[in-house]
Amino acid sequence: MAFKIYSEKDFPAYLPKLNQLYDELFSGGKGFRSKLVGMVANPLGIDAKTQLLLNQTIEFIHNASLLHDDLVDRSNLRRGKKAAWLKYTPEYAVLAGDYLLARVMMNLSSHGNIKLVQYTSQIISDLLEGEWLQDSIVGDFFVSVDQLDRVHNLKTASLFKWCLRAPFMAQDRYDENLHQVLEEMGTILGQLFQRGDDLLDFDIRNDEGKVLLGDLKSGYLNSFGAFISKNMTRPQIDQMIKSHTLDELISCFGSNPADAKMAFAAKVSEFDAINEKLIQLYLHHLSQLEKLINPSEMALIQNLKPLTEILYWRRKPSS
Amino acid sequence: MSSASRFVTVKKFDRDFSKYLWGRTGNDTRAIPVRSLNVGLDDELVTFELKPKSEISQPGFFLFWTTAIKLRSYILFLFPLFYVVSKNFLLERFRDPVALAFALVAMMFIYAGLNIRNDIADHISGFDRVNIPTSLKPILLGWTTASRMSKVSWLLLIIGIVLAIPVVLLEPDEIKVLSVVVVLIVLGQFFKKNSYKEKISGEVILFLLIGMGVTSGFQEALGADIDRETLALGFFWGAAVLFLVHVNNFSHLLTSTQAGIKNTMTNLGFDRAKNFLMIWWGACLVIWFFFHWFYASSYLTWLSTLVLTFWSIPLFIKLSQIRSPLGSDLLKIRESAHKTFLIMVAIFFVENAWYIGTKLNWMP
Repeated sequence: MAFKIYSEKDFPAYLPKLNQLYDELFSGGKGFRSKLVGMVANPLGIDAKTQLLLNQTIEFIHNASLLHDDLVDRSNLRRGKKAAWLKYTPEYAVLAGDYLLARVMMNLSSHGNIKLVQYTSQIISDLLEGEWLQDSIVGDFFVSVDQLDRVHNLKTASLFKWCLRAPFMAQDRYDENLHQVLEEMGTILGQLFQRGDDLLDFDIRNDEGKVLLGDLKSGYLNSFGAFISKNMTRPQIDQMIKSHTLDELISCFGSNPADAKMAFAAKVSEFDAINEKLIQLYLHHLSQLEKLINPSEMALIQNLKPLTEILYWRRKPSS
Repeated sequence: MSSASRFVTVKKFDRDFSKYLWGRTGNDTRAIPVRSLNVGLDDELVTFELKPKSEISQPGFFLFWTTAIKLRSYILFLFPLFYVVSKNFLLERFRDPVALAFALVAMMFIYAGLNIRNDIADHISGFDRVNIPTSLKPILLGWTTASRMSKVSWLLLIIGIVLAIPVVLLEPDEIKVLSVVVVLIVLGQFFKKNSYKEKISGEVILFLLIGMGVTSGFQEALGADIDRETLALGFFWGAAVLFLVHVNNFSHLLTSTQAGIKNTMTNLGFDRAKNFLMIWWGACLVIWFFFHWFYASSYLTWLSTLVLTFWSIPLFIKLSQIRSPLGSDLLKIRESAHKTFLIMVAIFFVENAWYIGTKLNWMP
């Protein structure tokens, strides 16, 4: 289903190609982040107008980052279509991204909550820092999972944190304990989402049919790539980098294809076990959150509980 | 115990905060910090995993203690000792081997105690919780607790101090050096925030202690008076060791900056810090040259400087080419810096061994 968070009147029609660019950009997205905002905002009883503002904010920031990201990474495709920088020129892609961020600030400041504006600015800064750092490690095939976590915390988790915290801020609720717990939960969700997404690259739970080894071919070792290469020898890493297919990559684990497949599967299980622990940590923070919200808001816990299933295991929640 | 209840989150001013951080959780459970938020601030929040001791793989005796006391870094005071001993042997001023032996053993205990205290300080301050570990951390790994190691460190320090008493009795002038060292340590306690690595004033104190403090201390212990060569060696050694400290801080530049940790590297930022490191090591090479110019033969001055400069080239190249405050290049720079430092020590060692061999007529 097409996801559109804005009206055509939101952007000036006299600017050539701008609305068309946005229509194409937004139409392919699932709008997961705004759904996440809804999962928090609904149990809190936030009115529709504020919710729309929050939804627009997060989607505008996310899509602005995609416009810039595609250009920085020189990605040809976005959501199965030609990337904006290729179709409309790099200049338009940059300006369209900047314009979205400017609109975010304009819309949010009209809401009058300076703390929310300040926090949102912080998130945008984090996002850009993450992009910058990620670009600085492209081509580094010896990067560690810990180091990548620092990038993902800025680049990916910052938006998840915003989705959890912003609705409370919109209600002028600034309880320090509450926000610290939400911050931790957002960090973990971002990390799990990124790691789940990185696994798709290696055809693990890749139901959405993501292009295989895309990150590796772009010179970027993602978190699972860093994990499997941790104890590899230099020739194994060289072989991994040069892999064009998943079978070629798996053959790094041994000359016998059956053994190599088993070794690769063992690595996946090991990675899953690490992330399962992260999920336990998330559940711990969720139980902390339960103590910090009003009894009437308990639906929030139910909404947030299955997120790890969706984000990491990429499956619909069992209950 | 449910899976979720294996974790506990505490704030800095919670009653249980120090209990978990110091590891006072009974004999069967270890509290391992897994997440730290707002480190060093009043609203610091730490989540611990409460792990049964039986689930933690324990290292062997040797690995545990060599890691805990940082045995590999003993070269930082053993080499100045070797230099001072060989120099005074050559000048026939080595008068008190007994006092020197006591000083050496005392130093080994004190150094072990200080290294453990440094680890504890890093753990309590959060330095080791925010930075990506580059070496094994016994407390962070749950091998032991901060509380237990604190007792061990005090015991080691007390033994070291007791062993240092005969040195002062045998060589009363040693008290002058020790007084300066004690004043520096006390000053350090006022200046530093949590660790000597964290503040610029702490870095200067570390430079003086590990440099001129060590060389002068050994010089007095073996019965000779402090001379210019000893102080010059201390100056050079302090600068070289501080270079390693800066390189270490550089490898944590991003995470330290995010956590608000202040040191020379975080103050300079990535681009200027890498230039600073190149200039610092370049300055070390210049000091090396002049130290040799004054205290070695002209032949050795040129030869050793050329060899050390040649060995430093990969380090300079790596520093000039690094383009990210994250990533594997940081580790490569650390390794290269340590290798270059070891080469420097090896050259120094060969030089002194040559002089000793010549004096003893071992050389052809």
